[in-house]
Amino acid sequence: MISSALLPIADELRRVVGGENVLAAHSDLVVYECDGFVIEKNCPDVVVFPRSTEDVAAIVKICNRYDVPFLPRGAGTSLAGGCLPVGGGVMIVLTRMKQILEINLRDRYAIVQPGVVNLWLTNALKGTGYHYAPDPSSQGACTIGGNVATNSGGPHTLKYGVTVNHTLGIEGVMTDGSIVEFGGPSEDSPGLDLTGTLVGSEGTLVVVTKVWVRLTRNPEGVRTMLGVFDSADDATNSISAIIGAGIIPAALEMMDQGILVAVEAAFHFGFPPDAKAILLIEVDGLEAGLDAQRDRIVELCLQCGAREVRQARDAAERLLLWKCRKQAFGAVGRLSPSYCTQDGVVPRTKLPYILRRIGQIGEKHGVRIVNVFHAGDGNIHPILLFDERDPAQIERVLEASGEILDECIACGGSVTGEHGIGVEKISFMRKLFNDDDLAAMTRLRVAFNPDNRLSPAKMLPTAGACGMEQKHPGRRAAL
Amino acid sequence: MTAVADILPLSETQSPDDQATLVAIVADAHAAGTALYPIGGGTSLDYGLPALRPGIGISLAKLNRVVDYPARDMTITVEAGITMDQLAATLASELQMLPIDVPHSGLATLGGVVATAFSGPRRYRYGTMRDYVIGISAVDGRGTLFKAGGRVVKNVAGYDFCKLLTGSLGTLGVIAQVTLRIKPLPQSSAFLFCDLRNLSSCEPLLAALVISRTTPSAIELLVGPHWRENAVLGLSTAGSVGRLVVGLEGTASEVEWLLGQLTQEWRALGVTASRAITEREATELWGDLREFPSAPDAPLVIKASVLPSRTVEFVRLVLQLDPQASIQAHAGNGIVIARFSQFDSADVSRGLIGRLQPAARLAGGNVVVLSNTLAGLTRQAVWGNATAATHWMGKVKGQFDPKGLLNPGRFVYDNS
Repeated sequence: MISSALLPIADELRRVVGGENVLAAHSDLVVYECDGFVIEKNCPDVVVFPRSTEDVAAIVKICNRYDVPFLPRGAGTSLAGGCLPVGGGVMIVLTRMKQILEINLRDRYAIVQPGVVNLWLTNALKGTGYHYAPDPSSQGACTIGGNVATNSGGPHTLKYGVTVNHTLGIEGVMTDGSIVEFGGPSEDSPGLDLTGTLVGSEGTLVVVTKVWVRLTRNPEGVRTMLGVFDSADDATNSISAIIGAGIIPAALEMMDQGILVAVEAAFHFGFPPDAKAILLIEVDGLEAGLDAQRDRIVELCLQCGAREVRQARDAAERLLLWKCRKQAFGAVGRLSPSYCTQDGVVPRTKLPYILRRIGQIGEKHGVRIVNVFHAGDGNIHPILLFDERDPAQIERVLEASGEILDECIACGGSVTGEHGIGVEKISFMRKLFNDDDLAAMTRLRVAFNPDNRLSPAKMLPTAGACGMEQKHPGRRAAL
Repeated sequence: MTAVADILPLSETQSPDDQATLVAIVADAHAAGTALYPIGGGTSLDYGLPALRPGIGISLAKLNRVVDYPARDMTITVEAGITMDQLAATLASELQMLPIDVPHSGLATLGGVVATAFSGPRRYRYGTMRDYVIGISAVDGRGTLFKAGGRVVKNVAGYDFCKLLTGSLGTLGVIAQVTLRIKPLPQSSAFLFCDLRNLSSCEPLLAALVISRTTPSAIELLVGPHWRENAVLGLSTAGSVGRLVVGLEGTASEVEWLLGQLTQEWRALGVTASRAITEREATELWGDLREFPSAPDAPLVIKASVLPSRTVEFVRLVLQLDPQASIQAHAGNGIVIARFSQFDSADVSRGLIGRLQPAARLAGGNVVVLSNTLAGLTRQAVWGNATAATHWMGKVKGQFDPKGLLNPGRFVYDNS
């Protein structure tokens, strides 16, 4: 039930956007109590679906007038609790602002509303010779507004970069309710790069209402290879060897034996069941150079001890390989009733070490861990398997997760490569950054969000963000 | 570039050789309320509004060490005072590079290039500085050292100060250390170019490059006296208005294929007299293209950023104002750099503010002044009209440099 203090807000919001665009009944609100991070839950007091930038501005002004917290939400696929309405308040769900406003191929940009699903843009570009490069594995559901908020990645970011590298401009509603454009369709804007600064700010600085994105030319050709290895070390050493040789693959993904068995059972690709690891390696670019790159990669993998390197025979086999990779998380259900995915980053030359440490940490805590991840970026996604009916297992999974992320920091890496801090990883911020770093980040937030009404208790470990101690690892998918 | 003393009103210049000393200098200046001017190689000090307030120079020249270069991770951590040439030489030893092209790279420092967000011809393929900075440390206006990002290529923990500080012209913090992601050095490069009979013949060629099978590194439209006679390109055809020069990189076999393919595509569009530039001549031409924006004697050098499809139209406008202007457009990106042959202070309100700025706005972009010899340019003349976004930039500035001591009065903020 909406608290009585907030009843007038719901009425005012209805006057702005219409009754059909406001939810205030508990049975409706419970859908919005969490995102892909299910450990912490809290219902918003009101959910509102703006239809336009002006709606968003009016909503923000109402929230300010009533002094209630508010936060934006896209499709709710965040894995870090970025959409958790801490302290309740008004949730601004942008999924009804879902128009692709312009596609301009000559000038290589598109303008989209924040609720446009990532894959819709790629689909709209089919046949043009251009695509939108960031391709998170959740691209069939996640929105571009959400991608901007979290600076989303995906398998092809190794060569093409993450969301911020493809964002030319942002229109946003500021915390004072004003509508401001940062950047735009041309490349350089005078002054500070606030577009780049707002990307990845996890909904704590601005409500994004429009995005100018860069479109990328499709590669002329592609070669997709499958390297089969008898040890995980050989596989990770191959990764460094390939990149060390000056080849930047479009994608370089690794699966270890634990996940391979499940993927093979689900998709029957024909992975050798005794392989300790496989690498999915894709190079793209000019046809004129691809066979040479492929041959060099095969040679390097074999030098590093690969049992064999196969090439995808045709487009169908390539698609099946990618299906195995992108849906690997769906296959985890064959291994365990529950699982928890982590998102750490290490320098890629530290991959052999971190994978060994993950194995040791799993053994120490009696937790089985399998791995499928963006190896070329050093972005690991260890999947910790457990049964959530057993509280002792839950405790062990949390301890093992924390140890793995601590180990990533010790390697000179990060605790999140693409999922974000949200509420999940606030406690790690003090391990990555000192007080002065965090004070600088707080200053940036104060500049944009002085009253901290927008997405309070996110990202930065301030007084308002305590009480987020994890009690329960979630069952959730990674990107 | 002009001598530091002619540009900045400095009472003294300090050259810290470690971060702690840098922090102490800024903290002391903060306590005393003294203005601070960060100085790298001194190659872009005339970028921005003139410095009027007396203050102390901070040279980063002694903070020039390579901190960590794990070549196989394709990242490098360096102090901000390293010159672009030193950096390039270090990276070249591992067949790697930072693909950011700047003039005077023997003097220009990485910190200065980050602060100015300068970029050159190869931005078409490789993007700009913001795409390469993955970790940064800086000293804010209070004298507090802070950092963000890290040393890994993928990292979304915390706010992205790498983007905030890239292009901040030293107004939010003195950049002390930078971590970059880097790229493999291409084996080979070449150019294909053609002379343009008139500007109208250029846009169809530019539009065709957008859907070309080739993958250019640079698409340069070169117009005006500076380019008419070039050691590599030769003398331009009589009656031609400019040249379209496309830079190509890759393996030797890729570059050979690219040259053949583009020649063929151009021939289909009626360009019969294209010519390839390879090997040593290509290296020389890359140098010419890199150095063009630096023209200390030109009365006015501007950079417009417009929609790529409006590049030619903007070039035409520049020529209307000054038929003898020399122009380099990174035409694939809609960037037009124009060196005026004549421009006096009286032309500023009519020509720059009255014509160039509105035209750029209509073409989806803006104009900024890169350098000038004119007196008394206003903020509007140098950076264009303040916008709603400028207001929020001022709020950020207020948080990082509350006393307004860092490079005061020179950037877009109206409150400093």
